Amino acid sequence: MQKVGKRNTRNLAWIILVVMVMSVVLSACGNKEEGQVSGNSGNADDPLEVSIMTITPSAVPAADDNVIKRAIEEATNSKMNIQWVSNNIYGDKLNLTLASGDIPDLIMINDPFGSTFTKMVKQGAFWDITPYIKDYTNLSGGIPDIAWDTTKAADGNNYGIPRPRPVTGDSFFIIRKDWLDRLNLQVPETTDELFNVMEAFVEQDPDGNGTKDTTALAAYISPDDLGWGGNLGPVLGAIENSFIGTNSSWKWDESQGKLVYRELLPEVKESLQYLTKAYSSGMMPEDLLSLKLTQARELFKRNQAGIIVDKTGTMRKIYADDLKKVDPSFKYTDFYPLTNLNGYNPKGSGYNGILAIPASVPEEKMKRILQLVDTWMNPEVFEIQQFGIEGTHYEVVDGKKVASSEKLTADNASDFNHIVNVIDLPWDTTGETDEETQANELFKKVEAERDKTSVADLAAGLQSETGQKVLPELNKKIQDLKAKIILGREPIEAWDAFVETLRNDPNFQAMSDEMTEAYKKRNGQ
Amino acid sequence: MSTHEQRMSTVKGKQTSSKKKGLNLLSALRRDRSLYLLALPGVLFFLVFKYIPMWGIIIAFQDYSPFRGIQGSEWVGLQHFTALFGNPDFALLFRNTLAISMLNLILFFPFPILISLGLNELRSVAYKRLIQTIIYMPHFLSWVIIAGLTLLLFAKGTGLINELFTLWGWPRVDILTNPDSFWIMVTLQAMWKEAGWGTIVFLAAMASVDTQLYEAARMDGAGRLRQIWHITLPAIRSVIIVLLILRLGDIMEVGFEQIFLMYNGAVSEVAEVFDTYVYRTGIEQGDFSYSTAVGLFKSVIGLVLVVVANRVVKRMGQEGVY
Repeated sequence: MQKVGKRNTRNLAWIILVVMVMSVVLSACGNKEEGQVSGNSGNADDPLEVSIMTITPSAVPAADDNVIKRAIEEATNSKMNIQWVSNNIYGDKLNLTLASGDIPDLIMINDPFGSTFTKMVKQGAFWDITPYIKDYTNLSGGIPDIAWDTTKAADGNNYGIPRPRPVTGDSFFIIRKDWLDRLNLQVPETTDELFNVMEAFVEQDPDGNGTKDTTALAAYISPDDLGWGGNLGPVLGAIENSFIGTNSSWKWDESQGKLVYRELLPEVKESLQYLTKAYSSGMMPEDLLSLKLTQARELFKRNQAGIIVDKTGTMRKIYADDLKKVDPSFKYTDFYPLTNLNGYNPKGSGYNGILAIPASVPEEKMKRILQLVDTWMNPEVFEIQQFGIEGTHYEVVDGKKVASSEKLTADNASDFNHIVNVIDLPWDTTGETDEETQANELFKKVEAERDKTSVADLAAGLQSETGQKVLPELNKKIQDLKAKIILGREPIEAWDAFVETLRNDPNFQAMSDEMTEAYKKRNGQ
Repeated sequence: MSTHEQRMSTVKGKQTSSKKKGLNLLSALRRDRSLYLLALPGVLFFLVFKYIPMWGIIIAFQDYSPFRGIQGSEWVGLQHFTALFGNPDFALLFRNTLAISMLNLILFFPFPILISLGLNELRSVAYKRLIQTIIYMPHFLSWVIIAGLTLLLFAKGTGLINELFTLWGWPRVDILTNPDSFWIMVTLQAMWKEAGWGTIVFLAAMASVDTQLYEAARMDGAGRLRQIWHITLPAIRSVIIVLLILRLGDIMEVGFEQIFLMYNGAVSEVAEVFDTYVYRTGIEQGDFSYSTAVGLFKSVIGLVLVVVANRVVKRMGQEGVY
């Protein structure tokens, strides 16, 4: 009996050992194979093997055999290995990927002025593509100059292809027009008028269900938004920006002849007092510190909040179709974008992240990758992700392509905009229904109006070495303090005290001087 | 390093002094080869995932750049440690970490012991099993789910508990964004999640107590409490001590996921601990060397505590962890 038991243990031990040795050997083989694939830049006629990492807004990213991906690969003679990363965690994932040293051939850098990327650029880890741009007509002509200019590194070179975005149509207030109409209110044009509208949205039952169960602004404060809109993020930041008249962290002070940090401006204090009052009056969710972007959006989608800050392009995909299920009387044109608040609306920076190529990629392959992006920007290739494939995603009606947005979404078509995007296409307002067309025409009209008064970030692309060191911690301190003041945990005097210490901080002064110098240098002063 | 060399030299000395011992070792290896083979996966696991990566600690003394690699990065000595100790937030981090950890030690640690004592006294085996299964459950939920549940229950605006309070005419309480109650809140949360799981070891130790002891005590007229005090507790004393020592080693760890998920701007001054700080500086800001230095500092404190506690326990005549 015992003997049998012993033999069994021995056999088991051998099995474990064999399995382990096998797995080590197998994984070693796997690595080797992978290495060979990515090292293959191959013949000029062979499809270009390229690994890509970028953001995806979709919960389920495009699979490797996605039809649209296949069609693009065929049109550009490439074989893409795309790593889609959720936009909630992109910053972390990017830092980890950069730290690992195993960097994809084409990698989306969401913040070209982030410290890890800039440090690595200085050490020569990425290709300087400046001398090559002119060889590719779509790269040089199809991407606006403002995008190339604002993404230049400190040394004046471009270390990535900017992903162009329209400078009009930046995120701004969107308000429920049907709620306004029900309460006989005008579209607000100043922060004071906005306050009255928000008060009415809380007090006067705008959804008409007989109970006071609505809030006004779908706001949240999250550490993910540090460095954005006075560290308050897109929603509350948009209010603060309207007080200051810019979305920049810096404002030019003519009398002192230098850039002034936004937090030192008296308008920030006014905005804080405004927000504190709004919070205590129930105009934003009580738990706004525990919410994230998606949860704040839910409030609007569920008919519980009447004001959000976003791009008009998100209307159907993110909000309206869900909202219609809750409130069938809601129409697309009730998704009403404000033109100005206090005469201000933000002008986009013209880009959203850049596509960089690590220096470990050989020059020939690097050129072929630039060629790939360039070809992709050709109208006939870009149309693949816009309209999909004939018969599957779109039909030609009266010589015009009519696509089904449902089918395109199902195949993740718009995800590919996060690799290559073309923006100077004429805006086609034709929607699937008349209702959608009307909404698109409204958006187009409002954005044309916005364009007349929009204010760009004057400090976009300016860098300060001290700032890179002190800003992460400073931004966090600012967000925490602002959050406490808005919640009523700290009195507004705490803000005055903070601004005073900030003003006297030598690091902070050094950062201001460096920024002013960089600004003057760029403006040729 | 020096202890390692010492050990090496003693091993060598022994080898030269008696060859017999080496032979003994070989024959011992041969005799118990199946046992050693069984242990091999565990040993390999520790080598590959714990010991080999440990050499990456040297980036704490470098200005590490991923592009240059460990070989090419510049050496900066103790610069990151001076930066950490000179950081005005250091005292805050230290205080928060210790406070949460001590609360864990004082409130959380004895709790599973109490539960197991109670469970051990239950007569009905089926009832005992049922309770055990129920209290084990939360252990298998991830912190993300528990943070979500906490939000659903305790949010000031829409939380279930607060809705109930309003219904009963009580004032709403603020739990999630209240710096005064944050420490106790996370401690209770951790207890809810892990206390049941923590009973496993104690119950196992109690199960091994000889029932004759209880019978004898009953004959002598000892009641339930006396039996617990004089038999059960002494029987599991060594287990308690071992777990306590190990717990002391983790005194600088306060469950990153939990704190990170419960963190918000309103409680930042009580919620920022070493683990969240390492995450922010290392992963979010890409300052790999600095965050490694912070992590190393944390581990060294844990190691020192374990060693000291073990010494103390041994001096008191108890069995330590090694």
